[in-house]
Amino acid sequence: MPLEIVVNGEARTVAADPMTPLAEVLRDSLSLTGTKLACEEGFCGSCTVLLDDRPAMACLIPVALAAGRRVRTVESLAPADAALSPLQAAMESHDAVQCGMCFPGMLMSLTALFERQPAPSRAEILAALDGNICRCTGYERIVEAALSLGGETAAEISA
Amino acid sequence: MNAPVKAPVIGSDLKRRDAVDKLRGRTRFTVDRVQPAMLHAALCRANLPAARILRIDTRAARAMPGVRAIVTAADAPGLYGVGIADHPLFASGEVRFNGEPLAAVAAETLAQARAAAAAIEVELEPLPAVLTMADALAPGAPLVHRDWQSYEELVPGGTRGGNVAWEASVVRGDTEAAFARDDVTVVESCFRAGRQNQVAMEPRACLVSFEDGRFLIETSTQAPWSVRAATARLLGVPPSQVRVTVPAVGGGFGLKFEFALEPFAALLARAAGRPVRLANSRQDEMLTSLSRENAEIRIRSAVTADGEIVGREAVVLMDCGAYGGEQPFLTTMTAHTLGGNYRLGSVKLASRAVYTHTPPTGAFRACNGTYNTFALERHTDEICAAIGMNPVDFRRRNVIGDGSLGSTGQVFEGDVLGPMLDRMKILRDASAERRARRDSRTPDGRLPDGRLYGCATVVGTWFVFVGPSAANVNLNPDGSATLVTSGVEIGSGSMMQALPQIVADSLGIRPEDVVVRAADTDSAGYDVGVGGGRTTVSLGVAGAAACAEVRTKLLKIAGDMLEAAVEDLELGDGHVSVVGVPGMRVSIADVAQRAQAVTGPISGSGAFTGPGTAAMPGCAAGHMIEALDLPVFAVHDVEVAVDPQTGHVEVLAYRVVQDVGRAINPRAIRNQVQGGVVQGLGYALHEEVGIGPDGRILQDGLETYRLPLARDVVPVEIDLYEGAPSLGPLGAKGAGEIPILNVAAAVGCAVAGATGRRVQEIPLTPPRVLALLDGSADLTLDHIADTWSDNLLPGSRPL
Repeated sequence: MPLEIVVNGEARTVAADPMTPLAEVLRDSLSLTGTKLACEEGFCGSCTVLLDDRPAMACLIPVALAAGRRVRTVESLAPADAALSPLQAAMESHDAVQCGMCFPGMLMSLTALFERQPAPSRAEILAALDGNICRCTGYERIVEAALSLGGETAAEISA
Repeated sequence: MNAPVKAPVIGSDLKRRDAVDKLRGRTRFTVDRVQPAMLHAALCRANLPAARILRIDTRAARAMPGVRAIVTAADAPGLYGVGIADHPLFASGEVRFNGEPLAAVAAETLAQARAAAAAIEVELEPLPAVLTMADALAPGAPLVHRDWQSYEELVPGGTRGGNVAWEASVVRGDTEAAFARDDVTVVESCFRAGRQNQVAMEPRACLVSFEDGRFLIETSTQAPWSVRAATARLLGVPPSQVRVTVPAVGGGFGLKFEFALEPFAALLARAAGRPVRLANSRQDEMLTSLSRENAEIRIRSAVTADGEIVGREAVVLMDCGAYGGEQPFLTTMTAHTLGGNYRLGSVKLASRAVYTHTPPTGAFRACNGTYNTFALERHTDEICAAIGMNPVDFRRRNVIGDGSLGSTGQVFEGDVLGPMLDRMKILRDASAERRARRDSRTPDGRLPDGRLYGCATVVGTWFVFVGPSAANVNLNPDGSATLVTSGVEIGSGSMMQALPQIVADSLGIRPEDVVVRAADTDSAGYDVGVGGGRTTVSLGVAGAAACAEVRTKLLKIAGDMLEAAVEDLELGDGHVSVVGVPGMRVSIADVAQRAQAVTGPISGSGAFTGPGTAAMPGCAAGHMIEALDLPVFAVHDVEVAVDPQTGHVEVLAYRVVQDVGRAINPRAIRNQVQGGVVQGLGYALHEEVGIGPDGRILQDGLETYRLPLARDVVPVEIDLYEGAPSLGPLGAKGAGEIPILNVAAAVGCAVAGATGRRVQEIPLTPPRVLALLDGSADLTLDHIADTWSDNLLPGSRPL
């Protein structure tokens, strides 16, 4: 059954069983493999996308529930040859990335936070990352990079 | 090209070249890869821990829609192993763990492959199972491998017998005499540590095709040459018929140091004549990952009143699960971890890998070291309590220094741990928060909020797993260089940062002008694999040696071009310059182009292997590494708060002084420390693997296996200790593995301090902490005999 979803600003028609997980459609039908599937049970957050601007686990959402809604994936943050988004650039300059599997999900959770709250506190950043597991970094560089975008400075945190 | 080098390359915080694509979501890990005409595969697994296979009937499954191939034990004749060849690809005749593969299916879709795998008719007759090491070592226990004697020993020297897959022992000096002295206090302790699942975010996955009579394997691995060898061995084909290439790897931590799914997919690809993709689900990973082994440790020491350790005896049991895998090799490490850190007058150690009917265990960052360091440091604190000595003073007095003997009699070089303890004191004392917390304590040692406060400083000894590596460096006509190795980027950054930095420094070019070839066993020489903190050291030395050959050739041609003597030339800024003559220079690109006409293209090859540091003759039996070629040390300090109502342990502050030799990329090392410490906190506090009565792992997903989250962790305060002796490139040491080593030790000692109880077991989950506070009975390990020598197999060397 064809379904229409708006992915990264573009209306796409996909032929999939309505119960197919959104992540599978993004990856297999639309070649958007930036959305990672690391647990497929909604616990790791690496498949996080924005569904009408709110973070959602694309591994658990049947594609039919995304019909007619706006889906944003990590590929939307710096499309084609556009420069990295400020959040991505901060991750790069802080050398936050290691294996990289969790970053698409981390970036989408934090993007949603920054859209709501341009200068989040450390506590707000940590709360936004509650649903995102990283096995490599121990989180701290990710948090620092996010804080560097206008939230509290490192000095204010340690004071 | 060849713009001036602005700052020294070594010691700079070079960014990662793979970060941008990873951040854009463009990096295609193995799990993201597809090929035209690709089939999907699924495995049929046993659901009993021990059973006789009566029947496996694939006929119905073969007739199902989309099915293109099914393979079973008959298709894979070989036996695999690290120390002993005991491991068939498919269970054959007998099932030895719940989850053991019985057959593999390839079909047009994953759903079809899974349906067909489920439709394979399997008839099993249950056999008695041994699920714990105590059961496996009990008199008359069923043997996991009844025909263990028939297995090929791939490495000689280990003692084996029954359910003991491998036994390694150390004997130096006369411990009986030491324990019999009338001026010593004898302290004895027992410890137990659980398994830890690596949980690499990218599950094990591969994509295999069979072309022109060869298997082409694209896989998520740390050790492409091991995959090549294991696949060939299991399939019974020459290794040269297997090619392994490795895209970006989404985390390894040791999980991907052995073969994984590749031989299954290879068999299916050959049978179907189509490329086959096989990837684990998270549940597969939780149930069958080669977790860090659970272990049991009994240790006792004879210590004089002024703190000299005159005798030490210990037995370590390591659960290898149903097959030996890495554990026979890892028994070797007890000598250097539990037998490490301190000067010992006499020592006896036994390290035994024990078969059980459980999923096989394997390598995990600082293998064997994490629990042995936990045991050693907790035991050390129990010694300090028994003789009334301050734990930091005791460590400062006893740590290994220049000229100290290790447990196997190797002579250590340089005072490293002692000065590192002094540096930790400076780091600790500089913390105003620490002072404030300590000043705020109530007379009974609680924080103002009622929680119990504890702190600890612990030491750890680890090593770089040196071993053979090959490197080639091609100097290209544009002045760039290509580094060709079998090194894999698993996330740590070694291949993206340290190695191009080393090559760039050696050739006087920019790191961005160093192309790093992704691993391909058809293009690069042999390499042990990425693990054991070895990449920067082994590939770094091999790469630097290759660069030295390139330099020699380059300078000779440049000397002719500049009409200067070779010894008057220097490399830098992408140029060859005459020392002291400004402007007398030629670009490396011009020299490389000139070479095309004069000598042909410039390239160099380099190789590395461990020098083989000597142990004391006769001290070590069954050890694959008798002495450490390149020791690495760490000092950790932690402060914790324990909630007596809930049993929750909060880490308040964490500090690390790490021996790095020389920091090639200090920021990248700090990132490894932060990440490694956090993995260690999970291990120490809440990552728990249980095994049910059916031999199945209880935690089959990330809902029940509790990983550290962002709100669980603290920023680690880090001091990189440079200057210790090292055979690594430019004096570097491996930095990625050791950060996890001491964490459970630090947390265990701090929780013991906070609660005033004997911490003997990790992870320190809230229920376990509450039991401690309730005064639970001491852990005893009755299956480890009181008399040390009674633990050895008959046939161990005479004592």
